Amino acid sequence: MTPERDEPLIELEHIGKDYVTEDVTVRALRSVDITIAHGEFVAIVGQSGSGKSTMMNIIGCLDRPTRGTYRLDGIDVTHRPNDARAIVRNRLIGFVFQGFNLLPRTTALENVELPLVYRGISAAERRQRALASLEAVGLGQRLHHTPNQLSGGQQQRVAIARALVTSPPLLLADEPTGNLDTRTSLEVLGLLQHLNRQNGITIVLVTHEPDIAACARRVITMRDGAVRRDARNEQPLDAASALAELPPPDEGDTA
Amino acid sequence: MRALLAAFRIALRAIVRAKLRASLTILGILIGVAAVVVVVALGLGVRQRVLGEVSAMGTNIIYIWPQSSQASGARKSEEAAMTEDDGRAILEEALSVSDVTPFSSVSMQVVASERNVATSVMGTTRSYWKVRSFSFARGESWSESDEQLKAKVCVIGETVREALFGSNDALGQYIRIGKHPFRVVGVLVRKGQSSFGEDQDDRLLMPIGSFRARVMPTTPGRVDQLMASATSERTVDRAVRQIEEIMRQRHHIEEGGEDDFRIGTQAEIRKSQEQIFDTLTVLLSSIAGVSLLVGGIGVMNVMLVSVTERTREIGIRMAIGAEELDILVQFLVEAVTLSLIGGLIGLGVGTGVVAVLASALGWSMSLPMSAIAAALGTSTAIGVVFGFLPARRAARLDPITALRRE
Repeated sequence: MTPERDEPLIELEHIGKDYVTEDVTVRALRSVDITIAHGEFVAIVGQSGSGKSTMMNIIGCLDRPTRGTYRLDGIDVTHRPNDARAIVRNRLIGFVFQGFNLLPRTTALENVELPLVYRGISAAERRQRALASLEAVGLGQRLHHTPNQLSGGQQQRVAIARALVTSPPLLLADEPTGNLDTRTSLEVLGLLQHLNRQNGITIVLVTHEPDIAACARRVITMRDGAVRRDARNEQPLDAASALAELPPPDEGDTA
Repeated sequence: MRALLAAFRIALRAIVRAKLRASLTILGILIGVAAVVVVVALGLGVRQRVLGEVSAMGTNIIYIWPQSSQASGARKSEEAAMTEDDGRAILEEALSVSDVTPFSSVSMQVVASERNVATSVMGTTRSYWKVRSFSFARGESWSESDEQLKAKVCVIGETVREALFGSNDALGQYIRIGKHPFRVVGVLVRKGQSSFGEDQDDRLLMPIGSFRARVMPTTPGRVDQLMASATSERTVDRAVRQIEEIMRQRHHIEEGGEDDFRIGTQAEIRKSQEQIFDTLTVLLSSIAGVSLLVGGIGVMNVMLVSVTERTREIGIRMAIGAEELDILVQFLVEAVTLSLIGGLIGLGVGTGVVAVLASALGWSMSLPMSAIAAALGTSTAIGVVFGFLPARRAARLDPITALRRE
């Protein structure tokens, strides 16, 4: 099975982004050209200030570039108005954040249903798809728990379920393991790898940790607002087997 | 519709989460709506009561008073006067007039055996009963010959009867007015207070001739006032024009000259009273409206806090595909829900207060459907108007900034 297709999903051409504060212009991105095909698992790495967050916001249609063209799944989304970009986010992108960003005091099931609400899907279908999505991330037993009743790893899995529920071609993960311990990080990464291999979902993962980036099949290194290195990783770290090699968890540690 | 329902559920949950804050906001709207409801019901109740009485007096009554010319200086000596003959002429010539009665009155002390009382002593004719729609509890009116003979007979109201005779029958008894004893031939059915606060049963009536001859000596035929009734409510205006013409002719008023009389109709009195009540209701309602406004500001305040507090939530919703309109609607619905809950409870409280007032005052006060609709409509409108600014602020948030907020 070869989930990668040749058709490009993300096409960034000469993308630049300037932040203009009162009298200083900060060039967050100089001129970035990246093409990511359907089914790829890409890690974008770099120090803080390298421009990787800015790029992530542009790829996620949360921000507009100052220069250049951005095509997502063949659609030019560079200068779309806010509402059109909201629709693009809803249809084409699933977000996973470092801070999980689940709605507080809202059950896992309702959190996962949320993107479908904005798509105007009926309650019954929403419920059904949310259940399937939570099942897929192994949280079928915690449907009615609110985020503060879940561990960090479980919260991140709810967030992944929420990102997947709309079946988007692109999953955008911003430091998804930043708040997690090694074991839980590997669990989450294993899940992402599984989704990438089994479902062919394109994953773009932003991180500053080389260990995490090692799980990706392609690593793009950013520095000072430009791409420094864009390399294939022919032998990505398999998170599931790395997890198996870890010493067994301490008694009572159920992250 | 489905989206609205979802927004409503989110709103309810948000309200339940911030119970104290929401309750205080709701209280603000509640007080405003309750105040408006009470004021409107009270205004309408008073208005109905008063206008009901005015109508009961007969809506086709026309009053004609003499009026000294306002023109400065000169003709002051020629005191304007009106006579019984004026009345007769009106009855004969004005086609739209069915009855005319003259009327003069004076406040006097009247005496019966041991007791005395101050009352209005009035001279009039038998048409008076019809024009003013009085009927008799005991006895009957004086006769036509009593009028011609200026007989010493009288008809009394219930207040006078009670003051003079207590529990005894007044019929056939004598009341002394000045030097003359008058025999009571009739007692009127109790009418109660008029809208002007006048006790309509505090009166003693006698033939106008007897009044002029024995109570208030004046020039022959002279009366204080004439009262006419139009043939129907619709002919009042026509009757007024006819009376005006007849009076001007009889009083030799030249073309362009100023009337030496004044004509007033029940309809005019009704209209002026309606105006007074409308003004009063508007005034009180606007005072109550101010409290609604304050309530609305409370809604805006609490919504601004809510938006600030939930900035991150808004960011999350935007990131996963909420459009600006979705966010706007969500917060608008929340604001409307807050104020509508306040409106509904306020309506309940207001209705309760109205019911208590009604039973305490013994008035019949009802809340018209329009007032209920207005109360709910207003509270919805308050939610929309005062919720709009916070909702728009939420909808225009930048998703990146909103997501970064802790």
